[in-house]
Amino acid sequence: MEYIVLVISAVLIKNILLAEYLGNCPFLGTSKRMDTAVGMGLAVIFVMTIATAVTYVVQHMVLVPLNLGYLQTIAFILVIAALVQFVEMFLRKFAPPLYVALGIFLPLITTNCAVLGTAILCIRRDMNFPEAVVFAIASASGFTLALILLAGIRERLEISNVPRALRGTAIGLIMAGLMSLAFFGFVGVDGSLKEFIQN
Amino acid sequence: MLSAALFLLVLGLVASVALAIASRAFYVWEDPKVLAVTDALPGANCGGCGNPGCASAAEAIAAGLASANICVAGGFEVAQAVGEIMGQRVEEREPEFSWTSCSYGVGNAEPIFSYNGASDCHAAVMLYGGSKLCPVGCIGLGSCVKACQFGALAIGDDNLPVVDYSRCVGCGACVDACPKNIVALVSQTRRIISEYVTDECTAPCQRACPTGIHIPGYIREIRNGNYEEAVRIIKEKCPLPLVCGYICPAPCELSCRRNFVDEAVAIDPLKRFVADHEMTTGKHIDPYKCTDNEIKIALVGGGSEGLTAAYYLARLGYQPTILEAKPELGGILRYVIAEDRLPRNVLDHDIQGILEMGIEANTNVAMGRDFDVCSLLKDGYDAVVVTSGGFDSRKILKPEQERYDAAIPGLFIMLDLLTAFSQREEIHLGKHAVIANGGLKALELARKCRDMGAEIVTIVSDQPLSTLPVDFHDTKVLAEEGIEVRASATVAAMRGIGERMDRIALEDKDLTGDISKKRTIIDADTLIVPAGRLPEMAFVHAAGKPETEGERVRWQTIETFRTFPKGGGYGILSSPEPGRISDSSAVVKSILSGRRLARAIHQNFTDGTITPIPNLVWEAADILDVTEVNGVNPSERQCPTVSDVEGDSKTAWIFPEEYPGLDEPAARQEAERCLQCGLICYDKNT
Repeated sequence: MEYIVLVISAVLIKNILLAEYLGNCPFLGTSKRMDTAVGMGLAVIFVMTIATAVTYVVQHMVLVPLNLGYLQTIAFILVIAALVQFVEMFLRKFAPPLYVALGIFLPLITTNCAVLGTAILCIRRDMNFPEAVVFAIASASGFTLALILLAGIRERLEISNVPRALRGTAIGLIMAGLMSLAFFGFVGVDGSLKEFIQN
Repeated sequence: MLSAALFLLVLGLVASVALAIASRAFYVWEDPKVLAVTDALPGANCGGCGNPGCASAAEAIAAGLASANICVAGGFEVAQAVGEIMGQRVEEREPEFSWTSCSYGVGNAEPIFSYNGASDCHAAVMLYGGSKLCPVGCIGLGSCVKACQFGALAIGDDNLPVVDYSRCVGCGACVDACPKNIVALVSQTRRIISEYVTDECTAPCQRACPTGIHIPGYIREIRNGNYEEAVRIIKEKCPLPLVCGYICPAPCELSCRRNFVDEAVAIDPLKRFVADHEMTTGKHIDPYKCTDNEIKIALVGGGSEGLTAAYYLARLGYQPTILEAKPELGGILRYVIAEDRLPRNVLDHDIQGILEMGIEANTNVAMGRDFDVCSLLKDGYDAVVVTSGGFDSRKILKPEQERYDAAIPGLFIMLDLLTAFSQREEIHLGKHAVIANGGLKALELARKCRDMGAEIVTIVSDQPLSTLPVDFHDTKVLAEEGIEVRASATVAAMRGIGERMDRIALEDKDLTGDISKKRTIIDADTLIVPAGRLPEMAFVHAAGKPETEGERVRWQTIETFRTFPKGGGYGILSSPEPGRISDSSAVVKSILSGRRLARAIHQNFTDGTITPIPNLVWEAADILDVTEVNGVNPSERQCPTVSDVEGDSKTAWIFPEEYPGLDEPAARQEAERCLQCGLICYDKNT
């Protein structure tokens, strides 16, 4: 039951893009077209899940026993970067269609702050391993949801009469802000959901 | 501190070793050529080659599935670079560029409603096909501009796309993006051999002109005082502008929309004005030409048809040679038309302009006497084109004779026959007579032939039965009279022995499908034709000399192919559109047939098959047009018409050389009268 609350919280309430404001670069960079947005979203789900699982292990089996907790950020970056490279090679050999579909997005995610952020958030919130994995999948799904929504809006904007000064990234940022405001409406839903489940 | 550094060192080492092992274990072989070719390609991912992007195009090239010059955006240099990587020789391909035909943007064209939705052409077309009344009009919302990866398109002030030819690479992305099929890719070759089709924007005068000159275009240039450009526009479709300016019957003026208001624009005198201007400057204005190739073509006959065919072939890059039996070029224009109507210096000027395109001309050489088709092919010509045109081809040349005086046995000219009937002369007709293309007189003539002893008379018409007069329709009654009607057919060949014709082959006009089933052979011994012109069957001569005195020789007309015989070899080609060829009744019609000949030859050397153009604009085609003209002020025609003969205020000009032509102020004023029509648009403020 807590997993349901965890998923709803990660997707809608504490959306990694719209509430945590992580990963703004791909949010604006890959939301111009729907097919790019879908590809990027799937790649993020894939990487974020694996990266969170691996960094969880690194944190609890290496950093904590060695008492090197302060090296968390730099160690995670290194691990995630190597992992993405590894996954790229693996996919290329054993799943060429998946590589063709996700290929150009994988290097983009190597140093993505949303991926690193999710990995660190799991540690900070003292989650156990299954919770961390579910949280990563849910966060990435939230990322994908926001990205696809924005891509839909921006495709419509493309054929609308936008004032010249606001065309391009400017109107994209305004739309992202408006979406963030809309998602703000979900705040508090998790508390009442928790109560509802407990009763 | 030390432990932290050590830890990171170890972590980094582990990661790098793992990646090194993985790169070995998961190694995928990649063709280095693909990478090299990808680098050589422009990387615009325009899709002009048909592949989804440059990387997949490179894969296709490396795999041998595509040729090295598939990249349309990169041009010849990229193709050469790719060819070098692949070790292939690359031939230059003709550049293409984007082109639109619509000339009245939203705001100037007739609307059916005001569109205020999403600013995208595809969205606008979903609502009743767009806000314009015209079905082929540009919507002007710029889907083509968005599709262009090279910044070569922009929407201009008049809501129409403007092409920047210095940037356009001819990738075709705009063509795919346009929901109205208005944007097209054209190359110079395609422009030279193009004909108007029913679903493009054409003005009524353009459609009425047999050669299809862009009349509003050259009148617009006259308006702007740009006479050289006007001549260039005329020469795109008509190599004899001055000759046409003097003797063209100007069917275009009958279709002019100004006739709804006052009088037609003086289209032909305006043409003569700019062509006169060209002659007075003494310099020939040359239209564009394609790159030369090595193919040599012989044209037999130096009349307007042969000159036109040679002109277009030269523009397409071929090496044409005209062979003319008479001492000078020009054919009917020189030897038949009175000098009062067509001054010879005018004709010489236009012919000189044609020859300057790179055409060789030999005069005083006659087919059958100095050369024949086989000797020409042996001399290195790749094709021989017979452009014998409108001269009387009843007269044929026998090899042993120097004079043209032997007729095809059993062939009668309708006029000769009617004269003979009225003079009650005795004429011996055969048992089975065929009347080809007799028009309305055919039935009357057929009955007279029956009276003169013919047992069966077959009337052949190239028109469908429905368009013939009602008298022809009751085939049963006619059959009782011994008269048979064959509609939508033409005479294709004749055969005979000695001084007697014995067989005539008829062919269906519609040659789509199995050609061999479209031919019927009838045992006829008399053929009656309206004029002595049988351009398709010219240069018939008896097959060999009789061995002994009095022996009769079997003869037949040359068998022709409608498409080139497969597997190479020799064959004589004739027009795939029987009945559509020139009837030689006006110089403009022979110009059209000359251009079609050039097109057919070009197709033969490029595609290997000759195909008619679908949806051609011709007189009976169903085309959207206007039936009234509003908002146009009447203004006086600057040049006398024939009807002025009766009026007493103006002088009538009977001979062109007496009529001095329009002077410059009058020409500019006359050009202002043009309504600059499109399919249904016209300039309302004129």
